Amino acid sequence: MTFREAAARVLREPLVHFLVAGALVFALFGDNGAPQDRRIAIDSAQIGRLSAEFAQTFRRPPTRAERDALIANAVRDEVYYREALRLGLDRDDLVVRRRMRLKMEGFATTPVDLAAPSDTTLQGWLDRYPARFAGEPTYSFEQRFAGGPIALPASLDDAPTSEVAARFGEDFAAALPRLPLGQWTPVASGFGEHSVRLNARRPAPPPRLADIRQRVENDWRAAQARASSERAYRALRDSYTVTIER
Amino acid sequence: MRRIVSTALAGCAAIALAGCDGNPLARQAETKSEAEVAQAEFPQRVYWGDSHLHTDNSIDAYGFGTRLGPEEALRFARGEEVTSTLGLKARLARPLDWLAITDHSDGLGGTKALAEAPRILIRDPVMKRWHDLLNSGPAGSQRAVAEIIDARARDKMPPAMMDPDTGEKRTRSIWDAHIDTVERYNEPGKFTAFLGFEYTLMDGGKNLHRNVIFRDGGKRVKKIVPFAALGTVIPDGLWRYMDGYEKATGGKVLAIPHNSNLSNGLMFQLTEPGGGAMSAAYARRRAAHEPLVEITQIKGDSEAHPFLSPNDEFAGFGVTGWELGDLAMAEGKSNEMFAGEYLREAFKRGLTIQDRTGVNPYKVGVIGSTDSHTSLATADENNFFGKHTGNEPQAGRAMQTQNLGTRQGRFGWHYLAGGYAGVWAVANTRAAIFDAMMRREVYATTGPRMTVRFFGGWDFGAGDLNGDWVRAGYTRGVPMGGTFKSGSGKAGKGRPSFIVSALKDPDGANLDRVQVVKGWTDKAGKAHEKVFDVVWSDPAKRKLAGGKVPSVGDTVDVARATYTNAIGAPQLATVWSDPEFDPGQRAFYYLRVMEIPTPQWPAYDALRYKLKLPPEVRVKAQERAYTSPIWYDPPA
Repeated sequence: MTFREAAARVLREPLVHFLVAGALVFALFGDNGAPQDRRIAIDSAQIGRLSAEFAQTFRRPPTRAERDALIANAVRDEVYYREALRLGLDRDDLVVRRRMRLKMEGFATTPVDLAAPSDTTLQGWLDRYPARFAGEPTYSFEQRFAGGPIALPASLDDAPTSEVAARFGEDFAAALPRLPLGQWTPVASGFGEHSVRLNARRPAPPPRLADIRQRVENDWRAAQARASSERAYRALRDSYTVTIER
Repeated sequence: MRRIVSTALAGCAAIALAGCDGNPLARQAETKSEAEVAQAEFPQRVYWGDSHLHTDNSIDAYGFGTRLGPEEALRFARGEEVTSTLGLKARLARPLDWLAITDHSDGLGGTKALAEAPRILIRDPVMKRWHDLLNSGPAGSQRAVAEIIDARARDKMPPAMMDPDTGEKRTRSIWDAHIDTVERYNEPGKFTAFLGFEYTLMDGGKNLHRNVIFRDGGKRVKKIVPFAALGTVIPDGLWRYMDGYEKATGGKVLAIPHNSNLSNGLMFQLTEPGGGAMSAAYARRRAAHEPLVEITQIKGDSEAHPFLSPNDEFAGFGVTGWELGDLAMAEGKSNEMFAGEYLREAFKRGLTIQDRTGVNPYKVGVIGSTDSHTSLATADENNFFGKHTGNEPQAGRAMQTQNLGTRQGRFGWHYLAGGYAGVWAVANTRAAIFDAMMRREVYATTGPRMTVRFFGGWDFGAGDLNGDWVRAGYTRGVPMGGTFKSGSGKAGKGRPSFIVSALKDPDGANLDRVQVVKGWTDKAGKAHEKVFDVVWSDPAKRKLAGGKVPSVGDTVDVARATYTNAIGAPQLATVWSDPEFDPGQRAFYYLRVMEIPTPQWPAYDALRYKLKLPPEVRVKAQERAYTSPIWYDPPA
């Protein structure tokens, strides 16, 4: 079930209807008594902003009449905005909902702790996910192509798996781990049959932080950002009881 | 929808993170520096990359729905798995060795900013409409971008959208964050991440776009911001900007035009822009700033057009749809425009201009690249993530009308799953790859990774192939992108000979043939071309008929989207000398390497989504590689 379907189902819940109705009642009548909510104040800073926007569009300041019209329009905006909220018009508007969610997510993700991570932090990260940072085994071998001379190196020394695969193809690279040492052995590549003598095979050395610090840090940072936004969502989500009917 | 929003979040988070990175250069002390990377005596390996990729910082890519940013683009190119905007797991079968992210400098981050701006502050009704569309989901978002591109092509952009002050601040902050991200992923010796941008020059709807790529790291490149093309129709401003950058920082930068096929004849003019004979000074200026051209990419291939090369049965790869008009379809195409659009003709025009002025403005090497707007640099037919998020993998994409020129006859299947650049560099570093680009020792493929070598000299013989011919090529000749050494005593004596070597993609299809394409000018100053089949598979069975090698055949099973390597050859190599050489004629030679036919991406789609495609859809083709030419100048 997608999030939207889940949300749609939640919205069909009687309890949700009750809560929404309650909220609506509260919105319509509950705060009628609060005088500050019935007050609209346009201050000089806001008038300054309105004039500046006008000037940006028309390359001149507004006349007095135009400025008054801008202010009247701002008041109109505010009145409609508050009345729309009272009527709950934001609730069934997909654009509004998406904007609100983006803003919330923006809040939730910006203040990640961005201090440069220490070596200890990164070493810990490396120890926790060694597979992500594993180096490649390397191979030293000679090869002869059954089809005669070919524009491939006759031998490679300490070539990492990825380089072997890039030059000879995936199948050839995949065959090397099982090859006997020091014997001419048939191996197929993307080009055809080869005879290969494997002279050395070195397992990937354990990754050392000093060699790959940037890579570890990139991974750590991306993970921190993901975890932080997930935590922020969880903190909000945990205050809700969500039931999903299937 | 959830996917879109959550990946948007990841992209923003990445930028936010990178933006606060303090001093990335200081922290890179532990990573290998470029100087520590071992350099080969001469290039031993071809390094594969994409010099043309857009992320959510591009005004149109974001608008088309892409929510993946530069960090995901870099991770993906390095071979890691990422989640596409539409929620699919995406991974390259084989990583790339290098990548240049080239987001549009015009309105950098502009749609993202417009979409995220508080609606109440947007005064312009058109911008308000776009804001709402951008926030209404993928369909609305794509609609908005189609309208933005259209407005741009018709010079009808809302003034507030073009406001230089806001734009400058936004550009600076996005650019700095982008640089920090790229710096974090550049790993000399292992993976090269270039800094760059796209300069989106348009004359109406005519495409004069250039990608701009820096040799340098963030310390230098932070001194400038990407240069916008708005309001100009000639590249002169870009060249001044490049000169200014090099002078101010001591760095180096180059520009790569692309989609000449959508320029309606303007990319490779015989005249200077706006008419008038091309001067030697102008020709020199262009050649100095623009050593390469992107010859093939998703929006079509610009090697040769059947109108210009009627005797070339392989001309016209991937021209369908694109040949109808300019980028925006603001103006249709007429036949006389093709000559200013296709590379083979540009090479020929270059010779004629050099005959007249002494300088060749179009002495360019060629590369392929994707121009993908999904942050995903895919060029494999069976793993194609589309031109933009509107045609990421999904059932209907092959037959969708596509957004540029919606009204007239361009469809999803006209997009090519293609364009990678092969670079013969001495190491995988910014400096080594950039320098190889400057000397044009590069080639283009339509996606597959064939290994292609091409050397020109005066004394190569068949016996050379039995020895260390790569060393021979570099020491006794010049590689692709070079010019025959003249004045060496040997020049002009005998005929030039070429070492030609092509290996199939080790995980791909066999090769059909290798061709030398020659162009030259005669005494009357007229340019000519000829295609020579120089080495092909099954020569015993495939005898020349009427000067041409018969077709290689076809093993494609369209319904299953498969082929077999029962035909073709894994390797084709020869030493060829030009039987029609005239020492008095200026000439160029480049290779075209043809694969056997293989299924194209719509065939894989048809299988995957159980589609019945109309007969006009391209479901198989012969993929190919084009090398940069080697040029011959007659003695003065």
